[in-house]
Amino acid sequence: MIKIKNLTKIYEVNKNNITTALNNINLEINEGELIILKGSSGSGKSTILSTIAGLSKPTSGEVIINNERISKLPDNFASIFRREHIGFIFQKYNLIPNISVKENILIPLIPQNPSSEVAEKLLINVMRKFKIEHKKDDIVKNLSGGEQQRVAIARSQINNPSIIIADEPTANLDKELSIHFIDILRELKQAGKTIIVATHDPLFFDLDFTDRLIEVSNGELLL
Amino acid sequence: MKNKINLYLIEYAINSLLRQKLKNGFILVIFTLLISLLASIFFISNSIKYELNSTLKSLPEITIQKLKAGRHYDINVDIIDEIINIAGVEDAIPRVWGYYYFENSGVNFSIIGIDEFENQYKDSLKRIIKENDFSKNSNEDFMIVGSGVKKILDENYYKEYFNFIKPNGSFKQVNIAGVFDSSLQLEANDTILLPLKTALEIFDMEENMATDIVVKVSNPEEILTIASKIKLLYPDSRVITNKDIEMSYQNIFDYKGGIFLALFIVSIFTFFIIVYDKVSGLSSEEKKEIGILKALGWKIEDVLKEKFYESFIISFIAYVIGILSAMSFVYIFQAPLLSNIFTGYSMLKTSFELPFVLDFTTLFLVFFLSVPIYIAATIIPSWRSATIETDKVLR
Repeated sequence: MIKIKNLTKIYEVNKNNITTALNNINLEINEGELIILKGSSGSGKSTILSTIAGLSKPTSGEVIINNERISKLPDNFASIFRREHIGFIFQKYNLIPNISVKENILIPLIPQNPSSEVAEKLLINVMRKFKIEHKKDDIVKNLSGGEQQRVAIARSQINNPSIIIADEPTANLDKELSIHFIDILRELKQAGKTIIVATHDPLFFDLDFTDRLIEVSNGELLL
Repeated sequence: MKNKINLYLIEYAINSLLRQKLKNGFILVIFTLLISLLASIFFISNSIKYELNSTLKSLPEITIQKLKAGRHYDINVDIIDEIINIAGVEDAIPRVWGYYYFENSGVNFSIIGIDEFENQYKDSLKRIIKENDFSKNSNEDFMIVGSGVKKILDENYYKEYFNFIKPNGSFKQVNIAGVFDSSLQLEANDTILLPLKTALEIFDMEENMATDIVVKVSNPEEILTIASKIKLLYPDSRVITNKDIEMSYQNIFDYKGGIFLALFIVSIFTFFIIVYDKVSGLSSEEKKEIGILKALGWKIEDVLKEKFYESFIISFIAYVIGILSAMSFVYIFQAPLLSNIFTGYSMLKTSFELPFVLDFTTLFLVFFLSVPIYIAATIIPSWRSATIETDKVLR
């Protein structure tokens, strides 16, 4: 279970430029739920996701995942937590452009130093699942947007995380590819994953497998 | 089951270097050149020091020269009996030596006249005389030449003999009876050993004359006293002690060493500019990559390990290539240009060879001046980026 308690995040660029990205947010997400956070750009959706993933520390409040206070974890422990529990799909994919598909997908496994057999097995499994096996040796920057997204999804799943966080996953995709992504999301939901998607893409607003659709506006949840 | 060494991390580091081939290739080339220059300076310096020490060890305790009009002149060997009678003098040996300018190659040969029945002033001469059996050739004009001389004579088609031009303009044909190598390259490579009679003839010197007289003293503490006594006996002579020669050698070495020091400072300075450039920050792509790695579950230490491998690979390759190329440059190619700074008279002398001196202190010194500094210069900015909040880096 994910618990967000009194979460506030303030960005202070300088004394004259202070932005309240999140203002006293409270939210509980159950295991296996699919939550859609909708809202316009700058509403605070991405900040919620970053805080849940431990990429950003809250100004006040806390995030508790499976009884672990993720927002209080030191940097290294937060990294280990992310590695073991969270698969993050970024808006711009955040792939390393000049290396191959295979190498990109393997990145989360590297610190664990698995045997080559285990790594190969996990790699083949996710590449098959997300239909990118035929491109495994291609350099990522040469792939289409849809293919790059499949690489990003495969990478997020190589460690078999229980929580999937997707930030504007279809922002750079056409409608056909967006629908394909939704199909992937359905499969992940059926596999029992907890999924949080931040988007302003209307395609996500009427999904029959969504548990909750929450609007975010000016750093607050409109429940 | 976990492997002890994380090969994935090493592979990632190699791929990361290959991704920026041009930039890393440039750093590798510059770094290799700097290490090579630095190591070459040390290697040349070590070789010269080795030569210098070897030469200084073999110097006669006292050398007596005759002066005429302020210039070095032939000395009469009759004074030897009187010198030997000075208390503390072990032996006094006349030397006939000089230079012969060989115009075809533009080099000077050192010529030493040998009287095989007399004591020799140097152990190396004794050995060469013994090995080449001077008595066997005593009825003819012959010479034993250093390997450097032999090489030059061969190049000029003097395979069997050489024609010396005497001061009166006539020729003196002398057969080449043997070739020697010496551990003292600086001294022996350009040397020609001749029977005393032949040497006197080539120099147009009278039989009872010598170039100088060397005096052996048993107790090193008495050298200065004996030198003063000789000077009192022969006020028209110049009496030189081994300390005087050592000082003049050392002065030249120190002066040339100063030029090397300047080169050393320039290379270190250039190196630190590269280091400063690295420390001053990472590119936005590099920062973003660190952010991505952390977002995907890499700890700060994983990022730093990967950066360590990257910088170690570059700096260690540069170190190995730099050291090997410096060794080739100095010991195989004899350090063209650089060695001339130290042995500035090489245009007039036969080439002298820098002896191979393997000094582990130098290898360690160059290593510690290069590899750890470069690694630190790579890791420090990476550590700075890795400790920034990941979300900030990715935004």
